[in-house]
Amino acid sequence: MTSTTTSFTKFTFFTVAALVFQITGLSLFVFGFFPVKPALSGVSGWESFFAPGCHSVENQSQTQMEMGLSPYELKSLYQDLSLIPPLFDRLILMVIDGLPAEFVLGKDGQPPRKDLMDAMPYTHSLLSSGMAIGYHAKAAPPTVTMPRLKAMVSGAIGGFLDVAFNFNTQALLDDNLLGQFLRIGWKMVMLGDETWLKLFPGLFVRHDGVSSFFVKDTVQVDKNVSRHLENELSRDDWNLLVLHYLGLDHVGHIGGRSSSLMGPKLLEMDEVVKMIHLSTIQTHDNDRGRTLLVVVSDHGMTESGNHGGSSYEETDSLALFIGLKNQVSISHYASATHNSILQVDIAPTLALLYGVPIPKNNVGVLISGTFDCLTDHQQLRALELNSWQLYRLVEAQLPGLSCGDFSCSGFIDDLGSGSGECSGSMEKILRCLFMNAANLHNSWKYKKETGFESREDYRSTVTAYHEFLKTASEWLSRRVTDKPVPLLAFGVVAMALSCLIFLGLITCMSREVYTGEKQHLSGSSNSKIRWCLDEAFILGVVLILVMSMGSSSMVEEEQYIWNFVISTLYLLLLRKAVQSHSGRSGSALFLKAQNKRSDFQLCAIFLLLISGRILRGWHQGGVNWTHLPDISKWLEQAGSNLIRSIQLTSGLLMMGLGLFALFLFVTNTKLVRVVALFFLISGFLVLWHIMEYQDNEFVSSDYHATLLAQIIYATLGVGTIGFVVALPWLMPIQISSTYSKHKINSSTLVSVDIQYKFPLLEFRDSSYLIGLAYMLCWCLLQLLLQQPINSMPIFLLLMQIFTSMLYYSSSGPQNKEWLEVALLYYVGMAGHFALGNSNTLATIDVAGAFIGLSSHSTLLSGILMFIITYTSPMLVLLSMVMYISVKDTSYLAIPQSVDLEQFLKMMLGFPCLVPLGLNSILLTAYTVVLLLMRNHLFVWSVFSPKYLYVCTTTVCIYIGVFVVAATEIYIYMVIAFRSKIQVSISNGIL
Amino acid sequence: MEEEKKKKKEICNIAKASTAENSSRSVSALQALSIHLICGLGLAIGLWVAHNLYSMNVVSDPSRTLRLIWIVESPIVTLLYSWFRLNPEQCSYLKAVGRGILALPVGALVTALGAIVLGAPVSIEYLPKTINWSLLMSSCMFVPAASVFGSSWSHWQRIFAYTKPNESLEYMICIPAHGAVIGAWLGAWPMPLDWERPWQEWPVCVTYGAMIGYLLAMVVSLGFVLVHGGRQHRKRD
Repeated sequence: MTSTTTSFTKFTFFTVAALVFQITGLSLFVFGFFPVKPALSGVSGWESFFAPGCHSVENQSQTQMEMGLSPYELKSLYQDLSLIPPLFDRLILMVIDGLPAEFVLGKDGQPPRKDLMDAMPYTHSLLSSGMAIGYHAKAAPPTVTMPRLKAMVSGAIGGFLDVAFNFNTQALLDDNLLGQFLRIGWKMVMLGDETWLKLFPGLFVRHDGVSSFFVKDTVQVDKNVSRHLENELSRDDWNLLVLHYLGLDHVGHIGGRSSSLMGPKLLEMDEVVKMIHLSTIQTHDNDRGRTLLVVVSDHGMTESGNHGGSSYEETDSLALFIGLKNQVSISHYASATHNSILQVDIAPTLALLYGVPIPKNNVGVLISGTFDCLTDHQQLRALELNSWQLYRLVEAQLPGLSCGDFSCSGFIDDLGSGSGECSGSMEKILRCLFMNAANLHNSWKYKKETGFESREDYRSTVTAYHEFLKTASEWLSRRVTDKPVPLLAFGVVAMALSCLIFLGLITCMSREVYTGEKQHLSGSSNSKIRWCLDEAFILGVVLILVMSMGSSSMVEEEQYIWNFVISTLYLLLLRKAVQSHSGRSGSALFLKAQNKRSDFQLCAIFLLLISGRILRGWHQGGVNWTHLPDISKWLEQAGSNLIRSIQLTSGLLMMGLGLFALFLFVTNTKLVRVVALFFLISGFLVLWHIMEYQDNEFVSSDYHATLLAQIIYATLGVGTIGFVVALPWLMPIQISSTYSKHKINSSTLVSVDIQYKFPLLEFRDSSYLIGLAYMLCWCLLQLLLQQPINSMPIFLLLMQIFTSMLYYSSSGPQNKEWLEVALLYYVGMAGHFALGNSNTLATIDVAGAFIGLSSHSTLLSGILMFIITYTSPMLVLLSMVMYISVKDTSYLAIPQSVDLEQFLKMMLGFPCLVPLGLNSILLTAYTVVLLLMRNHLFVWSVFSPKYLYVCTTTVCIYIGVFVVAATEIYIYMVIAFRSKIQVSISNGIL
Repeated sequence: MEEEKKKKKEICNIAKASTAENSSRSVSALQALSIHLICGLGLAIGLWVAHNLYSMNVVSDPSRTLRLIWIVESPIVTLLYSWFRLNPEQCSYLKAVGRGILALPVGALVTALGAIVLGAPVSIEYLPKTINWSLLMSSCMFVPAASVFGSSWSHWQRIFAYTKPNESLEYMICIPAHGAVIGAWLGAWPMPLDWERPWQEWPVCVTYGAMIGYLLAMVVSLGFVLVHGGRQHRKRD
């Protein structure tokens, strides 16, 4: 007896220990693997105009030199040193959030669609007349606003975890263009997205920040920017004007690329370009100086208007230089539109055009087309400066590079050795390419002095520089910074250890349980052999998943695996159900009962299969085949009325299903009525919200809608917590042997002995009601938060879970408990993808995360986003509370030795351990996969987002399991306490 | 445990005895070989005709090729297996053939539903492909069983739900059918990969998988028949 109680404590202890190991290992790994900071600290100063490696220059503290200089002195110092006269005095940086370059420049040599061309007439006239050059600027994933802005102004590709901070923008402390401009005394003005203000607090002399908070507002957000424009353009007290228009991104989020609002929005942007360009032409002759207008977009968008991933549609952002007033022959329209660059190239280009040092961590390469009006000498100088900067950055990461000694004066004697082939290690290649370029440049200079320069020499120098710049830039941007190996190793080991502990616990538990079962059911353990196939398959599924994680396309299309595997499992269960079906309707009572049961099971499995197929067809998830037709696209085409009616239908169906499940439970009608009433009220509140507010795309933020949503949150939250706390106390306890039979648990195996010791039935009833309340409240909440199109899948999921519950309650000892819990877990994962999620960050529903929030709060909207994304796994975990009540586990316990702690262990063991164990296997395996794939081409675009999802799933499992365990332990303690009191009272009476 | 095993053996023996009583003609190893050879050849002929006479294959025109193959294969299978029908005295050869013909569309419906549930596309353009594929699958899986067993639930249950065949003929029906299903299931795995090959389309690689599985399973079943037949002979001695 004592051994079992210690075993329960031991179990808890081991589980908690495994959890601690897992959390430690995971956090160590995450912080070790994801690079957080770039390599060089500090700010580029005047030393960037000298060749690297000149210790005499670099040893002097730049602060000493520069602290004494006023901004104007510094500016003239830079101009003297750079040897390139600044081409422009003022810069207007116009950021159009989410504009794909394809809209302006076309794709694959083709001009954009006719309607898009018509929407931007002025821009196209500029492009065709050679007044503007446009580039496809390839953005690095993750394609969300803040990291992209950072990349544009600093030229550095940020760490992957920047995404996590996207909703918590912080000041940009690294060297960047705006900081450089500030140092030379520029005055800056910012109008638009307030992300800029968070990145550069206190930097702008005037600003009007708009929030990207109200995603549904597409008009006001841009009007707030444009209203100042006229005033600002007429002023001459600024050097940099940043305009950040958010409207186009919002249009995309609402209606996708082909939204009807897209044309007018582009026209509006074109008007802005026209206004700025005309005014800069006018003011050109004044003494305000020459103005360059740069139109950029931070990222593109997918067909459905989302962004975050790395598909062409998302990374295809725009860089458009207007006002280079060319000069050379850019008469050809095609040549002005079909160049492609990297987004980070914008930073060094602007720095060189304005004569400031290139930011220290820049990995971009200057855009050669924008320097065409410079002399050969100046162009080479620009290339040289860029090369020096990159060389310094490479040097910081490859210390072996710096042992080279080239003279500071810039003259090298052996002029001929400039064109050798470069090979060997990366260090050697980069060094050799750099030396090649430097030598060629020097020889060109020498020849020019002596008057013998030729076009050929010039061209080969430019080529050599470009070769170095390209190689270094690629190497730097692809390079994953050095991983702290001990940290990673320790993390992986800790995770593997916790995984082993979980597996050990599960095997231990199942051995204990099934030996008990065998003793108990020694007559008919025949079933053991029959059930081997699906058990083996469920374990095989884990293996399949682990293997599929190594393939990037399987990671992208993970939903296929889950659906395929689950349907196969259901088919295997169907086969089992057929096995126990004995053909003709036998006359024996036992035979009849068995046939009836297996008929019921067959129906349940058919229902599961069909609803699973509909769920699978609802969203064509994944990455590669998102264009294929699916039910959600079809419905969206059919119009919003249909969607809304489906939403209402599924809401009503959900309530009907909930009531049905409630009244299956008959022991106490009074309590059920209270629950039903509460449930109906909150259900109708949600439906009211849907009817009134959900369809208004153009209402930016309705006060009443927010208030109603808040009321619903409060109702659901208070109601659920109230039920959990109150139900175990209110559940009437009957100690007498004439208790009413539970309708579902009509098992004859419940021994009176246990019933006497502990009111099992009441425990079950409370669990059932609380589990039901959890699930229904969760689904109603999702009905409010999710996109309208997802309401039907949520209902189908709920139905699947109820059907599974019914099936499991009828299966008894036929199925092993761990198998059923694992199957439920798989259903949860398949449902995750059926709700339109995928393993890219682009499918996270941002719009829903602001429902019911009256002010911007990173924490609250983050929680809402988590709730929306992890609907299905969480629903399944919450259903475990119900599962514990419906699954007849009493046969597991041997009546003589039954112990209450043991009983709790039996109840809680599998529903908590199996999800934790499965998740720990997947987490550990995926961690190893990520380590192996660290040099894969898709590591940042495919594997890392997936890893973030895996980590968040782990968090979700922790929360869910905690809720299940806490609820059950609470119910158990309350009921045990009450029964003890009742027994003592009845004894006292007797 | 030992006792249980013994019991089970006894049950099996009783079952065998009972089936032996109302059993079909027994199948010799040579007959088994020739049946499997002819069935395999049927598939090969179908493919050959499609390739050489109509110059199409499963990749280029899956729907028509599959139709051709099942049209060739199903009569062969029906006629062959009907010869070994259960209770030949009570059930005429023609009746067995009729059962096989009836089973073809019914089995196709079952396979099509199974495939759709597992994720086969349901749009109109895929409908003919799915129909022809499931007819082919049905003629490999269900037609032989229907011709031989008719509507005997216990046989069907034993073959398809328990997978416990216990004589040569049942091996010859059971193993290739399972081989075809498992092959098709495995054949579906390359479909989500982004290789952009034409054979990744539904139902091309599934068909290939099913055919390979079917052919391999016929070899395996032949082996079982040989081993089993030997054992039976020894028992008789």
